[in-house]
Amino acid sequence: MQKSLKKDHVTVIKIQSFIKTNPAGMTFVIAILLLVLTFILRPNSLNTNTFSSIILLTMLLSFAAAGQTLVLIGGGLDFTVGAVMSSAAVMTTFMMQGQDGKLLPVLGVVLLIGLVVGVINGISTVKIGLPAMIVTMAISNLVARAQYLFAADGKSLGYAGPSFIRSVSYKFGGIVPSIIFYAILIWGIMFYLLKRSVFGKQLYLVGDNKEAAKLSGIKVNKIIILSYIFSGLLSAFAGMLGAAYMTVVSAQVFDRYAFQSLIAVIVGGTALSGGVGTYTGSIAGAFLMVVLSNGLTALALPDPIKNISYGVIMILLLFAYNRTSAVRE
Amino acid sequence: MIENIKNAIIRFKRSPAFTGFALFGFALILNIIIRGPAVFFSAQSMGTLFSKNAPIILVTMAQAVLLITGTLDISIGIQLALVNVVVIMLPQELGVSIPVAWLIGILVSLAISAVGGFLVAVLRIPSLLATFALTFVVMGINVLIMNVPQGSVPKAYYSTYDSLLFGFLPVAALMILGVALIWAVVKRTKFGKHIYAVGADPKKAFAAGINPTGTIMKAFLFKGFITGIAGIALTLMIASGNPLQVESYGLKSLAACIIGGLGFGGWGSMASGVYGVGFLVLIQNAVYYFFNFLQGTIVGFQITSYWQNFISDLIIMLGLLMTTVTARGQREALKQGISRQIKRGDKHAKES
Repeated sequence: MQKSLKKDHVTVIKIQSFIKTNPAGMTFVIAILLLVLTFILRPNSLNTNTFSSIILLTMLLSFAAAGQTLVLIGGGLDFTVGAVMSSAAVMTTFMMQGQDGKLLPVLGVVLLIGLVVGVINGISTVKIGLPAMIVTMAISNLVARAQYLFAADGKSLGYAGPSFIRSVSYKFGGIVPSIIFYAILIWGIMFYLLKRSVFGKQLYLVGDNKEAAKLSGIKVNKIIILSYIFSGLLSAFAGMLGAAYMTVVSAQVFDRYAFQSLIAVIVGGTALSGGVGTYTGSIAGAFLMVVLSNGLTALALPDPIKNISYGVIMILLLFAYNRTSAVRE
Repeated sequence: MIENIKNAIIRFKRSPAFTGFALFGFALILNIIIRGPAVFFSAQSMGTLFSKNAPIILVTMAQAVLLITGTLDISIGIQLALVNVVVIMLPQELGVSIPVAWLIGILVSLAISAVGGFLVAVLRIPSLLATFALTFVVMGINVLIMNVPQGSVPKAYYSTYDSLLFGFLPVAALMILGVALIWAVVKRTKFGKHIYAVGADPKKAFAAGINPTGTIMKAFLFKGFITGIAGIALTLMIASGNPLQVESYGLKSLAACIIGGLGFGGWGSMASGVYGVGFLVLIQNAVYYFFNFLQGTIVGFQITSYWQNFISDLIIMLGLLMTTVTARGQREALKQGISRQIKRGDKHAKES
């Protein structure tokens, strides 16, 4: 009895240390387990369509989470991700009207939206000194409202170009969606930013300890504003791709991505306090979020039950990953 | 005598509620200019203003209590819908009498707040994330109880809510006054002091012999009580049921509290929240009447409600920026509080 207890204890400690040292791997394991569970419970959901939609949605969420990861590592928080994505998507359909020739101007305008919102976010948090959570929420509200000035009554305004749509959702071998080319691009950029660039190194330092970073000669404000700008640009680009995936777009279509990306990033092991985190973790977190909602859809639960389970599972994940320290410590 | 008044003014200027009061005064003057003092202060206009806005004002008061305790609840909006759904469905489906249904509505609100408090105080999940996840759960429960908008309230009830007592005192305003009085009493109890202590620094409060977990839990329950009353006010306002409404009140009440000068924890008073939400409500009112005025005077001037929403949100954003210009004390408290909110929440942070 005593012995088995001890053994259990050792396993628990091992698992705990694995969760702590390798949150990305752990998240990935949980996601795979959930996926397998879904297939066991609903064998008929095991088909190529499920796989391709999981891959596509994971990529899309991982793009939205890219900027969020940068901002979180820098010690901030960006709630405008969802609103920027929605505006970019609305803008894309509004300008394209099914013509592929407009791709470049659309890209320009969409990135400009991301840039402007990023700059406003950065300056309001750094120069004016408001807390990131509140400012980005207020700005996100404004950006969401602004969409209705274009897409009144939440109606769709047009379509993305057919080739552009194909460049996102064409399926190689019926499974692998062509969005992976964009993924290679964005994951490459993120890898360079976080692992190879001076900006990345400085961002970790700033997120870890602002004062120390300032003392060692880093321009803290510049780095933080840059992280918000990258976040704006990345979420705008994600919104543009999202428009191609959704084909029919209405205002506020991607607003939920703000919280979803945040939770994906946190579950992937990036600390809310800044200075810690990897983009691989965020991708794993995005995968987990998508598998979760896929599973709930596959089980064909009624909508309210789906919502309740989604909330409860999120609470469990947060409980496992993001507890605050006890007041006694 | 003059010295006393001077001191009182100085004290008020330094108090947390001053920023909110200044903005509230600005919005009030704007309203008076646009509508004229006689029309704006008429009993009827005041009655409409209070009956249409009592739920958001009450919710902000509830949120203010949580903010003083150093936590928040973003799911408070959808919880109002929960109370609304319960209060409508009990008489309709089970034939429960309306006062009993109201009581049960408040109890349900207390229960869901207890769940929120459990997640934040006992499980120690950061409040923003925990209550966001809770939003989905409450949403699901709402739709389980009532799948589509339906139901009605007897006319006697909602016309009482809309009416004016003695010809000038809106009944909706009385509800707000009642909650304010309850808070004024609660604030002076031991529990009230503990709220401020825990909000300022839970560790120091613990060292001083206060139980932070219990205090946060109680604050959530108190919030649940106010939310229950707000839910009843909402039911009387719309005189029907809707399972998926006013979710945005969560964010709105939070913004109102910040505009009013509340920080996270230990700083500010409920009056700050009331001024903040007053600013919000009056700005929306002013923008609405201003556009009406423009449409009436300029021929062919047409504007959609989307522009109205956009402009009132823009002014609210500016108000948010204004608070930091006027209240440095608040800003510091806010920043420290938020970083505590967030930074407490990390296992990984400790290792780095």
